[in-house]
Amino acid sequence: MTHLFGLLQIGTSALLSQQRAVNVTGHNIANVNTPGYSRQRVGMETTTPAESPVGTIGFGVRTTIVERVYDRFLGVQLNQENANLGRWEAQQGTLDRVEVVFDETSGYGLNQALSEFWSGWQDLAMNPSGGVERAVLAGAGQNLADTIRREYADLERIRTDTDASLAAGVAEINRLTASIADLNQKILRIEAGGTDIANDYRDRRDLALKELSALIDIQSFEDSAGRAVVSVGSGRTLVESGNHYELAVRPNATTGRAELMWPDVGGGWTDISGEVRAGKIGGWLDVRDGKIADYMSQLDELARNLISEVNALHAAGAGAEGTTGIDFFSGSGAADMAVDAAILADVNTIAAAAAGAPAGDGSNALLIAGLQTAATMSGVSFEAAANALVSGVGNDVREAKAYAGHQSDMLAYLENYRESVSGVSLDEEMVNLIKYQAAYNAAAKMITMAQDMLDSLLNMKR
Amino acid sequence: MRITQNMMAGVFMRNMHKQTAAMLQRQEQVASQKRINRPSDDPIGIGRVLTGRSLLAAIDQYAENIAQGKTRIETTDQTLTMAGDLVRQARRIAEEKSGEEISAAERELAAGHIKEIYDQVMQLANSQHAGRYMFGGHEVDRPPFTRDDDYTASYNGDAGSFRIPIAEQVEVGIDADGRNFFMDATAGGVDIFAELKNLIDGLEETDLAVGSAAIRAAVDPLQNAEVQIRNKRSELAPKLYRMQATGEHWANFKVRVQDAIGRDEDADVVRAALELTQLKTAYETSMAAAAKIIQPSLADFLR
Repeated sequence: MTHLFGLLQIGTSALLSQQRAVNVTGHNIANVNTPGYSRQRVGMETTTPAESPVGTIGFGVRTTIVERVYDRFLGVQLNQENANLGRWEAQQGTLDRVEVVFDETSGYGLNQALSEFWSGWQDLAMNPSGGVERAVLAGAGQNLADTIRREYADLERIRTDTDASLAAGVAEINRLTASIADLNQKILRIEAGGTDIANDYRDRRDLALKELSALIDIQSFEDSAGRAVVSVGSGRTLVESGNHYELAVRPNATTGRAELMWPDVGGGWTDISGEVRAGKIGGWLDVRDGKIADYMSQLDELARNLISEVNALHAAGAGAEGTTGIDFFSGSGAADMAVDAAILADVNTIAAAAAGAPAGDGSNALLIAGLQTAATMSGVSFEAAANALVSGVGNDVREAKAYAGHQSDMLAYLENYRESVSGVSLDEEMVNLIKYQAAYNAAAKMITMAQDMLDSLLNMKR
Repeated sequence: MRITQNMMAGVFMRNMHKQTAAMLQRQEQVASQKRINRPSDDPIGIGRVLTGRSLLAAIDQYAENIAQGKTRIETTDQTLTMAGDLVRQARRIAEEKSGEEISAAERELAAGHIKEIYDQVMQLANSQHAGRYMFGGHEVDRPPFTRDDDYTASYNGDAGSFRIPIAEQVEVGIDADGRNFFMDATAGGVDIFAELKNLIDGLEETDLAVGSAAIRAAVDPLQNAEVQIRNKRSELAPKLYRMQATGEHWANFKVRVQDAIGRDEDADVVRAALELTQLKTAYETSMAAAAKIIQPSLADFLR
């Protein structure tokens, strides 16, 4: 069954197949730096051979499929580690800012303000009638109250900023889920015939899933039609076939803090803030409601105890002109702590003396100065509690840094492995290019030869 | 394992970031001379540093208190020495002028001298230290002793003492009740002003015999007054010693606390600089290696 036209057919099939292979190689080279791209390969096989008396004779080559080279199990692991990395990076980024609030290394912080405050009381005790000592003490009290208030307000602002980050993160999540749903549809259309694989769309969807997992810890799998199903928390669906569910950020009715809401089937909203463990969203929520809230309550306790302990002694003592019952600090906590207006108006109301004693008595000032070392903060002094807070912040930052570093190493290892499987090697593609080009040239030569043979055959008739 | 160009570039980039981060840290240590530049550099160390700083501030305050207390004691001592001398002078006059043969005119002269001594003692009893009256108890803003035209003295202060915190929960109290120094507040005490007044009255007595008896009667109490003042002075000595000793303790302790803070906080600059050099070498080596490895490609050798 061999004939000359068969030769042309073989040549054509070779030309087409090698050209297609060059095409795919070119596509690989073009996308060497495209994030998420997996190198592609052309599958080739022989065409159906023909029976002949001397045996089967081949009729050339055909391309079967263009497929991407990838490790299907790597994706899930990458996404998981990426979610953990996102969590620690978000924590580290936020805690880095907290650390600046508690910058005690330069010597201008809570520690310094407390020391100056107690020194002020001792100075006053030594010279209870001194106007300068009184003014200095009022100043030191203001500095202490200002420092506590400023640190508290700074922490509050970081929490508010975290709310803004959450809103931006959720907008990004919604963009990614929309794009995953859209890609689901495109992949379905291409793969519906059962022969083609939507390589590029799948790469893009994998990339979107990876970006999504950096933001929030997702679970995902492919349904029977190859569409990704994505959910968060305890099975809250984000993407299902061509549909995506948009998350929202709503302020909590009581705290005013941004909460992560998932759209209910019934049209309502479910708060899923507590279900998110990882990803940047998880990290932000954790640091906002856990660590920073904890620092703020420690600072608040410090302020409350300072106010109550100092005021109790101060109100019992007498000022330079015999005034009694005046508070040294006003306010109820770290948010509104201040030196009492009465004291700022007249520093002679500072009660250095015991009640009924003349101006030269400094015994009450001594009592208040004694608070410096008193175990007023559940067993420790004010300074020890303040120092422990700074140490705690440092420790949390260090921990977040260490985890983020470790997680980033882990991810780098996995991405290296992915690159090793799916990445484009330019040298390899270059070799392929030459290989396919040579085959193409040879096939072209064969067609020329077949044409010559046909010509010779036709010339015989003349 | 397949190695791609992106892997080589990625590995180089990651390591370059790690190296530059390590270099930056050492550079910061060298520049700031501090090992701890933020709490997370050493969370436990910063806790110790802050505790040490609180301690340093407290030590400085105590040292300042002690310095103030010492000058106060020294001033008190000086004042009392002068007062004692004056009282002795008065006693000598009493001894010399107690004879009945002393003429009225001579007595008149002596009376004038004692009046001067009286006022000088009162001036000393109204001495100030750092703008505050030392012998008026807590009444530091007005002269504690005044007299009327009859040389009858009155005390306007109270029984308060001057308290100096020299350590945690430790105070040194210096008696500031002028009556304990110059009047008969304690049992067996001598009211110096009253005795001087008696002496003046005796010297001014027109009946010379009665006057002489009064003058003689003033001698013993004035001697006792001298003893009273000397006793008050000797009360001060152990307090001064205590403050000096505590002051020296703080001075020594301060150095140790500073050392401890330094150990936690200060950078080992030599070591940091050495490490910086090592890191720089490693950095340059990896850059040189990367430059050689990343650049070549098969394309360079084709055709």
